[in-house]
Order: sequence, then C-alpha cells, then structure tokens
Amino acid sequence: MARSKGRRRELAKLPTGIAGLDEVLGGGLPAGRMTLLNGGPGSGKSLIGLQSLLHGARAGEPGILILFEERADAVRLNARSLGWDLAALERTNKLYLFDARLNPGAIVTGDFSIKGLLAILDRQVKSMRARRLVIDAVDRLVQLYDSASRERQELSSLHEWLLDRKLTTIMTVKAMPEDDRRSRHAFLDFMADCVIDVDQRVTTQVATRRLRVVKYRGSGYGRNEYPFIIGENGINVIPITSNVLQHPAPGPRVSTGLTRLDDLVAGGYKRGTSVLIVGTAGAGKTTLGCTFAQAACRRGERVLYLSFEESPESLVSNMLSPGLVLRPLIKRGQLVVQSYLPEAMGVEEHLFHALQALDELRPKHVIVDAITACRRMGSESAAFEYLMRVLNACRERGITCLYLNQATGTDIVAEISGIGISSIIDTAVLLRQLPIDGTMTRQLIVMKSRGTPHSEQFHEFRITDRGIDLDEA
Amino acid sequence: MSRTTHVFRLFVAGREHNSALARTNLAQLCEKHLKGRHRIDIVDVLKNTAIALEFRVLVTPTLMLVRPRPEVTVLGNLNDTREVLAALRLIGGER
Repeated sequence: MARSKGRRRELAKLPTGIAGLDEVLGGGLPAGRMTLLNGGPGSGKSLIGLQSLLHGARAGEPGILILFEERADAVRLNARSLGWDLAALERTNKLYLFDARLNPGAIVTGDFSIKGLLAILDRQVKSMRARRLVIDAVDRLVQLYDSASRERQELSSLHEWLLDRKLTTIMTVKAMPEDDRRSRHAFLDFMADCVIDVDQRVTTQVATRRLRVVKYRGSGYGRNEYPFIIGENGINVIPITSNVLQHPAPGPRVSTGLTRLDDLVAGGYKRGTSVLIVGTAGAGKTTLGCTFAQAACRRGERVLYLSFEESPESLVSNMLSPGLVLRPLIKRGQLVVQSYLPEAMGVEEHLFHALQALDELRPKHVIVDAITACRRMGSESAAFEYLMRVLNACRERGITCLYLNQATGTDIVAEISGIGISSIIDTAVLLRQLPIDGTMTRQLIVMKSRGTPHSEQFHEFRITDRGIDLDEA
Repeated sequence: MSRTTHVFRLFVAGREHNSALARTNLAQLCEKHLKGRHRIDIVDVLKNTAIALEFRVLVTPTLMLVRPRPEVTVLGNLNDTREVLAALRLIGGER
C-alpha cells in the first residue's frame, strides 16, 4: 500500500519502551522528529519522557534530559523509587541531566535569544552522540518572552536545531486552558509531528490517568483515550482494541460442569463467549461458577478466578460444603484465584492487573465474582469500563468469560441488565429462590443464549454436598 | 586595579545583533556611571561553552554583576537604560 503512493515511505519510528504506548503509536515516536506532550501538573508527562529516554539509553541510544522546572536531584530520587538508577547511566555517558532552571531573580530588559542553550546542547550532543532528547516544561522557557512572534521565532530555531541533528525529541508542556492553548501553544502543536494529550481526572475519589494521541503526521495511531497507570516499573498504558470483527469466532462448546445444564444450552457454553450468571445472595452463583471451573481444570484447562468478594482461602472453604474441592486445583496451578478489594485502586490499575494476568497465565476461562462489586472501583461507568475491557480482552484471546452478578431486588429479570452489559453478553443464566409449599426452592432458567436453541423453562435445583443437582425439564 | 568597584561578566553569542547591542549599551553605561572603576569580562558562549554550562547561561546576552555583592543577572540587550541602572543598583532604591 505504501509503495503505490510512490515516494511515500514507512515512517521511521523509535520505541518508547512504554508498555502499551508503542502499540497506540503504531511502533513508537517519529524518529528524528519532535513529539509534544501536553499535560497538567502531576499528569505523568515528565515520567513518560524520562522512561522513554531511559529505554533508549539502555538500548544504546544516549539521551539528554533538559529540566526547566525540576531539580536534577529530585528527578534522580524519583527515578530511584521506580528502581531506575539514572546515575549509573550518567556515569557511562548514556544519559545526561541538564539542570536548566532559569534564575528566578533574573531581570529581563530587551530582546535575547536561546543561543546559549543551543551552544551548550550542541557540545553535549556531540560529545555523547545523543540520539534522543527530552525537553521538560518548555513552557518555562517560552514564558520569558512577552511577544508571541519572538516566542515563535525562538521555538522555530529550537525546532530547526533538533531536526538538523536528527534528535528524536519529546517536549513536555503544561496544559493550558483552552483559550491560551489556542493562541500561545497552537504553534507548538503545529510544529510537532506527533501530539499527545495527557490528563488526570478524579471521579468519585478515584484518580484516573488518560492519554490521547491528537496528531501523528504520516502515521496511523490509536484514536481512543487510553487509561494508564504509574505502576512499580513506571508507566503502563492500557490499549484496547474494541473492534469486535477482529475477535476469533467462538470455538466449540465447553461443559458448564453440569450435564443437565449442558443439555439446556445445546451442549455447553461456547468457548470464547461471555456468560452472565445472575442471582440473589445465596442463590448459588459462586457454586455454579466454581462447578464450571472445576470441570475445566479437570480437563486440564486453566481458569482465572477474579474475586472481588472474598479471599482465596474463604472461597476454598466455602466451596467445600457443596462438595467442590478447589485446593488441589490451586496447588497444581490450574485454578488461579486473585482477590482484590475494588476500592483499593482505580479502574486502570484493576484493568492492568487483569490484563497482565490474562497474558501471563494464559487461562482458557475467566470468572469475575461479582461484577456488582466493580461499582466500588469508583462509579457505575468505571465498572462498565472495566467489565467491557476485560470482556473484549477475553474475546480477543478466545477466553470464555463468566460474570457473576448479584441481584439485589426481587425482580431479578429486570436486573439481568447488570451494569448495562447485558447486550454484549452471549448467555445469561438466572438463579432464584422461591418459597413453594413452605420450603425454599431453587430455580434456574436460561434467559438468553445467542445463536443457540435453549430451554425456556424454570428448572428446579438443589445444592447438595455433592454439588448442584439440577432437575430435568 | 584597587579602584575597581564593579565587575561584570557579559555572556554573548558571537556577533549576533542582540549581543553586539548589549556590549555597546553596557560600555556606554559604564563610561557614564562607573568611569575608571569597572571591569567587563566578555564570554562568548559559542567558544566557551564550558563556562556557559558552568553558569547555566541559556539565553544570550546575559549580564552578571559579579561585584559588588549580591550578584545580579540581567537578560536581554540592555536597551532600557533606566531599567538596567535600577537592576544594577546604580540609581534609585540604593541605600
């Protein structure tokens, strides 16, 4: 395709080394060109710059960090908390931190230029053969000028200088209110080959960071807003492909763990699809989920159980009474139970852990218990986002996904919607308890099973010490 | 030399316009207000980058008043004489 357009060639890119970001950028930063990173204070933009510089330095591409705002010592100290030893790279001339804070007491009278800066940089670039450059808080430099046209001239000469030396550059700039940005920083946006906006929002007490690529000259890029977290090893961006058409077609049937339930859904759940199990507290959702898990593990298929309700220990001991013995499955690594407190972290971090587990453990099936608890990650929309992303990630990987949902009212049928995800669910199973003739009777009905003929009747069941005992129709 | 009361360090970038202006402006100002008791050290950042780095001189021209203390830094071509004199404590606000 690139050839048919004649002189148009694939743009050379340099990876940032930041998980997820290179994916969003279709490979990395434009090589030898300038990328602008807009963001408010604390948005993580400086860290993105530093991390990409570090990645380059380790890959044998020396880099320079120009600090207009922060002290070099503070940057070294921050980096150490992420396990990055900047001093070691500085000693071997792979990294150079240039403390370029302007003297706050300096008085400005008359015009001036940034030739001093360029002379210093020139020398440093040559002596260490630098290939990458990060200019942190360029707004501090620009502020010195009170004329917009001089500001542009100086930015242009800086830009020319970068291009001449083929330096792959990130400039970070403090996000301005919309008006200011249009007038003052529009020029920066225009100059840059790639522009990334970064921000941090707080919704219902949970902070979320996001980034969005606004522009990438000559390249395609992911157009969504991508959440990211600052984890133990730095920035992690969570890219999502939401293109359903890319999902592999659902595979063959997998047993629900109950022969009679298999009969109700034409042989089992379809592999790689999504299943919603809804019911009031104590209706047997977890038991039905674990029945499925046990059967899968016995077939040698790994199951990831994400529990937002109880610890692995309490899950194991609670499942003993319906006769499900999970401990040996956990010991063999066939069943992996991960418990998280929903409110312990933001939705990005939850997502990050879930997606990491999918990639590292490569389970065949995932169970989320219970999706109702996901609301406690911040809000209804946070829960929706989490569940959608996990579901999509599972589809892409051909993983069967079981969502357990606790109904709170009596009208369970109305509640099957479960945080608005019912439309994307392939199969929905409803569990309820009814007092009939003075005893509590458990019933199960398959509410929905996409593309599959299924029973439309309520079926009674009992939870015995040998598992779920489901009546035939 | 014992009569020298004021020492300046002026950072310039070759012969660029603003640097040349600053040299002229400073020389005239000293001639008028500090005749015979000042010294001006000119540093060309394009030739003496190490010194520019040592003093973190990012913009040119940059004027530093080294003596008497406290040090003063003035950026720009020194076109506004009154402002420069005030910054260097040569008029007004002087104790």
